Amino acid sequence: MSSSAAGRVSFSNVSVSVPAADAAPGRDSGAPAGTRAILRGISVELTERRVAVIGGNGSGKSTLLRLVNGLVRPSAGQVRVNGLDPSVDGGRVRRQVGFVFTDPLSQLVMPTPREDLELSLRRIHRRGADRRRAAEQILAAYGLAHLADNSIYELSGGERQLAALATVLAVNPAVLVLDEPSTLLDLRNTKLLHRVFETLDQQLIMATHDLDFAAGFDRALVIHGGQAVFDGDAAGAVSFYRRLCADDAAWPRTLQQGPGHRSPSGNGVP
Amino acid sequence: MRGHAHLVGSYRPGSSPLHRMPLRTKLPLLLGLGTVSLAVQGMLPRTLLLLAVLILHFAAGAGWRRLLSPLKPMWLFLLVLAAYHWWQHGPGSAWQILAGLLACVYAANILLATTPVQCLLDALVAAVRPLQRFGADPERFALAIGLMLRSIPFLVGSFADVREAAKARGLERNPRALVMPALIGTVAYARQTGDALAARGLGDKDDGGQQAEKG
Repeated sequence: MSSSAAGRVSFSNVSVSVPAADAAPGRDSGAPAGTRAILRGISVELTERRVAVIGGNGSGKSTLLRLVNGLVRPSAGQVRVNGLDPSVDGGRVRRQVGFVFTDPLSQLVMPTPREDLELSLRRIHRRGADRRRAAEQILAAYGLAHLADNSIYELSGGERQLAALATVLAVNPAVLVLDEPSTLLDLRNTKLLHRVFETLDQQLIMATHDLDFAAGFDRALVIHGGQAVFDGDAAGAVSFYRRLCADDAAWPRTLQQGPGHRSPSGNGVP
Repeated sequence: MRGHAHLVGSYRPGSSPLHRMPLRTKLPLLLGLGTVSLAVQGMLPRTLLLLAVLILHFAAGAGWRRLLSPLKPMWLFLLVLAAYHWWQHGPGSAWQILAGLLACVYAANILLATTPVQCLLDALVAAVRPLQRFGADPERFALAIGLMLRSIPFLVGSFADVREAAKARGLERNPRALVMPALIGTVAYARQTGDALAARGLGDKDDGGQQAEKG
């Protein structure tokens, strides 16, 4: 697939900080007093079809992804999705950007896959009969037809994530943002999900801990301590991240020492 | 927290005559049965109406369990009401009250058991469409009601979860251990639902489409 079909997501000097009562002034460079920086000075332009975002827990990956559809607003800098600003044209951006969460139960708001899918399709098909036919087709395409009327709580983790993906893709987004979509899945379901991703035309921006999968992407960012510490080819990013994880000095002291040795300020940032 | 959402009163797929009946026939029929069973007086007519609703209930393929489950939250209320009428007006009056109320509850139950939520929402959208000229957005209206219908059983379930968690720590008598987590869970659920809708571009004002319609 050529990158011409892909969307264009750009960040220019984007920072996100949140109010923090225990923020030690001066420790987090770039964050105003009384706040803690989640992301600092991110400047990237993503045009590749498959972009991986890798990094540790709490590194700022999720925040970076949520900037794309306006669920999080930048404290400084600009985000553009196909020329639109998510903080201004939120509705229009969200119609182009589909978002898949780690936990499909956060995604599915109706009791059964069929009802949830029909909820998604309300925007496209105003007539009930059209909507039911479209839902039937999508359920069949994802191999979910026999589970259509089961409670979402009765589905397996893999079936649930597949259903969640189907409800997001049902509205034809141009960009698909995925926040660790396979973290809760076993190996077989992870492979199944990956096969589905292979068939998609959408631009994928995916945070993942599955380094082998990320290594096959067109581009990858490594996020560490709220900054993009590596940006380039995916295989290079993965080996950079592996070296980073092996280097103890790069990580917050509190994590190395464990909960028994908490420093007074709580969150030590290198 | 999301573990045991009790999905009560929800749709059961089937092919019974009531499932196939269009909503514009079914809704007036069931609404009519419910209304008449409260409007008419007398033991015999009310018993017959309750019987008619029960026949529809079984015709819709809803079993005995579905007949008993609505009684669970209201049996105490029904008992007190029946006892009061028995004492004031005798057993006949008590039965009349019970039969009327149960006919209403079961008629509503049949509607929910045989009609998918999306169909009810379509009917709702059609009903509020005349308000569009005053600036109302029927789709957003339907979405809000749909989410409300979904949220009530979820929140009941999450409160049950919180109670179990408190019990596991021996805190079942501590109101703070019960109320605070349920409250936080409710706010979290609301935020999560908002994110879930935003993730598919639902719930935002449909400015693009309406502008296109206006030309």
